[in-house]
Amino acid sequence: MGIVYDKNRAHFADFVSVEDAEGLLEWLQANPKGKLDLAACTHLHTANLQVLMAAKPNIVSWPENASLALWIQGALGFIPGA
Amino acid sequence: MNALLEQFVLEARDSLQGIAEKLMALEEAPDSAELMVELFRLVHTLKGNSGLFEFPEMTRVLHAGEDLMDSVRNGQVAYSRELADRLLDAMDFVGLLMDEVEATEAIGPGHAETSNGLAQGLRALIPAADIAEAIPLADPAPPLAAEASALAHIPEAARIAAWREAAAGSALFWINYHPDDESFFKGEDPFHQVRQIPRVIWGAAVARAPWPRLADLDCYRCQTDFQLLVATARAELDELFRYTPEQVSIQTVEPLALVVPQGHPNGGPVYGDFVAEALQLLAADDVDGLQAAARSLLELSSPALWLASDLRWLLAIIETAPDRREILRLLIESLNTLTQPDWNGLSMAAAAAEHVPAPAPEVEPPVFADEDRARCHAILAAQAEILALADTADWLPGRLKAVAKTLSACLAYQGECVDEVEEALAAALSAGSAGPLRAWLAAQEGSTPAPAPAKLAPEQRNGAAASIPSAAQIIEETLTADARESGGPGAGEGPKFGRRADDAQVGKILKVDQAKVDLLMNLIGEMVVAKNSLPYLANRAENQFGVRELSREIKAEYAVINRIAEEMQDAIMQVRMTPISFVLQRFPRLVRDTSRKLGKEVELVLEGEDTEADKNVVEALADPLVHIVRNSLDHGLEMPDEREAAGKPRAGKLTIRAAQESDRVLITISDDGRGIDPSVIKRKAYEKGIIDDATLHRLTDQEAINLVFAAGFSTAEAVSDLSGRGVGMDVVRGAIDRVGGTVGLTSEVGKGTTLRLSLPLSMAVTNVMIIEANAQIFGIPMDMVVETVRLPRAGISRIKQKKTTVLRDRIVPLVALNDLLGVQAESVANADDELAALVVRIGGEPIGLLVDEFREVVDVILKPLPGEFAKLGCYAGTALLGDGSVLLVLNPKELF
Repeated sequence: MGIVYDKNRAHFADFVSVEDAEGLLEWLQANPKGKLDLAACTHLHTANLQVLMAAKPNIVSWPENASLALWIQGALGFIPGA
Repeated sequence: MNALLEQFVLEARDSLQGIAEKLMALEEAPDSAELMVELFRLVHTLKGNSGLFEFPEMTRVLHAGEDLMDSVRNGQVAYSRELADRLLDAMDFVGLLMDEVEATEAIGPGHAETSNGLAQGLRALIPAADIAEAIPLADPAPPLAAEASALAHIPEAARIAAWREAAAGSALFWINYHPDDESFFKGEDPFHQVRQIPRVIWGAAVARAPWPRLADLDCYRCQTDFQLLVATARAELDELFRYTPEQVSIQTVEPLALVVPQGHPNGGPVYGDFVAEALQLLAADDVDGLQAAARSLLELSSPALWLASDLRWLLAIIETAPDRREILRLLIESLNTLTQPDWNGLSMAAAAAEHVPAPAPEVEPPVFADEDRARCHAILAAQAEILALADTADWLPGRLKAVAKTLSACLAYQGECVDEVEEALAAALSAGSAGPLRAWLAAQEGSTPAPAPAKLAPEQRNGAAASIPSAAQIIEETLTADARESGGPGAGEGPKFGRRADDAQVGKILKVDQAKVDLLMNLIGEMVVAKNSLPYLANRAENQFGVRELSREIKAEYAVINRIAEEMQDAIMQVRMTPISFVLQRFPRLVRDTSRKLGKEVELVLEGEDTEADKNVVEALADPLVHIVRNSLDHGLEMPDEREAAGKPRAGKLTIRAAQESDRVLITISDDGRGIDPSVIKRKAYEKGIIDDATLHRLTDQEAINLVFAAGFSTAEAVSDLSGRGVGMDVVRGAIDRVGGTVGLTSEVGKGTTLRLSLPLSMAVTNVMIIEANAQIFGIPMDMVVETVRLPRAGISRIKQKKTTVLRDRIVPLVALNDLLGVQAESVANADDELAALVVRIGGEPIGLLVDEFREVVDVILKPLPGEFAKLGCYAGTALLGDGSVLLVLNPKELF
């Protein structure tokens, strides 16, 4: 399981595969204010990245993996100019 | 090579050949839907098969070809010459890749560019509507302005970091990765791909279009592009995007394009004082002062200002390239206007030249894996060991040269200079001792980086032994690896895969490695020999042991075995039979290409392509035929205008006809060109000293024409360049001779030339007559033998010193085989004082060979003489007889 959902929070595992994207999309539609915990994540498939970019969800903790964190923050517009 | 790959290589070759054939055929009948479908099927199959392996370059070209053929098939594109040319080029490229696959089982990434170019060339012929996915191809490089504005979006910190990388000598690239919409379904993860790129300075995922509402979002369509600024080596990038080069554009970034100050103007340009002061400092060459001034102003300003950004750049450039005054000046002056400095005319490359001798960014130092270095080292150690051997050997010079060669190759691989090796070699050769080379190598050992556990200091001459095990070990490793690879049948073979369902119609044909058939052939050869020993056994039973009954039974049994063996031999020969089309199929392409190059019009007619002959014969035919056809095209056929003037059709006609005649294959190559003028040939031969004055006048026209086969008639250039000078026919004759064939040439001036090749159907079994001379037996191929006669001594007369006789009103010269072989013995006559003469035909003339006795005629498997003996032209080879003795088979053509 790439993503574990509990109530209004989604925990990303270390690798989130392409199969998880649809679930994530549905969950974000059902829980627009749901909180995402990406701390453990080291990579997620482009499809998930797209969902994040489209949904601009509430991310409560960024990945501990610095490079992934940078990429996602950039993609979600958390870094000026990106 | 694993079985699957082997199969692929075999099939791919066939497919390529088929594709070329179909294209040729289409040139004749461009509207044939049937051919088109067939062609599509071939390209499609080949593409599908190539996809099983890691050959993206090949698959890409084939895929483009397939798409193109698909649109041709659907009538969207008309077949054209250009289309054929591009497809043929593409198939040549695939052929080239196949060569590489066969040699190395892989394709190097170096072909990516060619592959992409060819694929684009093919796709360019497809109407635009069909190639939505190929749009990035049409616009591979966005205009520079777009790049500049994209670069300006990169945060300043990243740009400054990139500038520093560039100043340190790295080449910068701007990557625009536009993944295919469907890429997720192909198992790709563009994000993962992007994260594999090393040394990314800045990167961003960009949505192609504003995101729709979540409810409308299709998360499995890739709608994200990636843009990156990297300092990665170009080769690495090419390798990473090897599979999807059409989705990515990689551009070199001019570092100056990064220098874009940005920020809030804050009331407009009001920094006149600072500009004046800074320019003054700059003019006074006080870079430190300028740095200090800029720093203090920066501290006082809000970091969000345009001013601050400009100052930060100023500082960065002072730090990395303090000598670039022009850049500094422009940056300072831009504060007057708060506009982007104009970098036109300046470049980072100039900067590199101007200041620090930074390493050229494009040149990558050769990267050495430790393993490679260790191997090189082992090689050097082995050389040291060789050099340490005694200098007394006669072959010392050869040994020294070999060592020097190895060393040079080794050093060249390591990118080091090899001149010193040459010098040391020269010194060593003149001194007649390995000393100089050894000394040089010892010095070298000291200076080259040794592998991790460093060994071999200069003084360790004997210490070389320390590394010898490693050298030996490596050789052993290599050997075992080779053995593994080339392991016997079944050794390294993986599971056999079934063929694709849509290829089922070819399932009845079994493709077998030729070596296996050759093995069978050898075995049946031995079988024939073994079986031939049975009659000897029968004779012994009867004569030695006096058991007639047993002898008869053995003979009966022999008859049965003989019949089976012969049938078996026949069957195996059938397996080896290959249609002549195997060599003829290349000619349509060759004739087409060559004639177009020469500006001639040629109609090629092939007949009897399904005539079969032994594979070796057919293969041996290939080169001579190419030579002959090129000669015809080049020298035989005239230019269209010339032909018209001579009252012939503009297009010349070249006919290659193959037919079987009893146990020979006849191949006729005829053209209707200008023919060979015997007088020209005579004159040329006379000038070259091949014939003398008397011969010049005596020769008939036909004999003159045959002179083109004379060795030495061709010039040296003609031999090296096949399409050369219209001669070099002695090479052709040599090649045909080797497989036991003959060549005949007739020509009529103005009408054309005809070459007739006659070849044996099979070379496997030779019918030889056994003769005896000076108590030794020899074989003579039966096809050379005209007749055997017994000549009474009285019938032999002498003309000058030569013995002759008259046979059927014709004078036949007689030569004793003993004389020819240099045996000091007289020919032995029989009881009636008759000499045995074997009449053979050499160059169309009968000659009597005096021997002692005729024996029986046998079928033998002729084996060429091994090694150096093969150069003895007077022997065609050896054969094993039924009683176990070895028969030397003579080659009468070379005897005289």
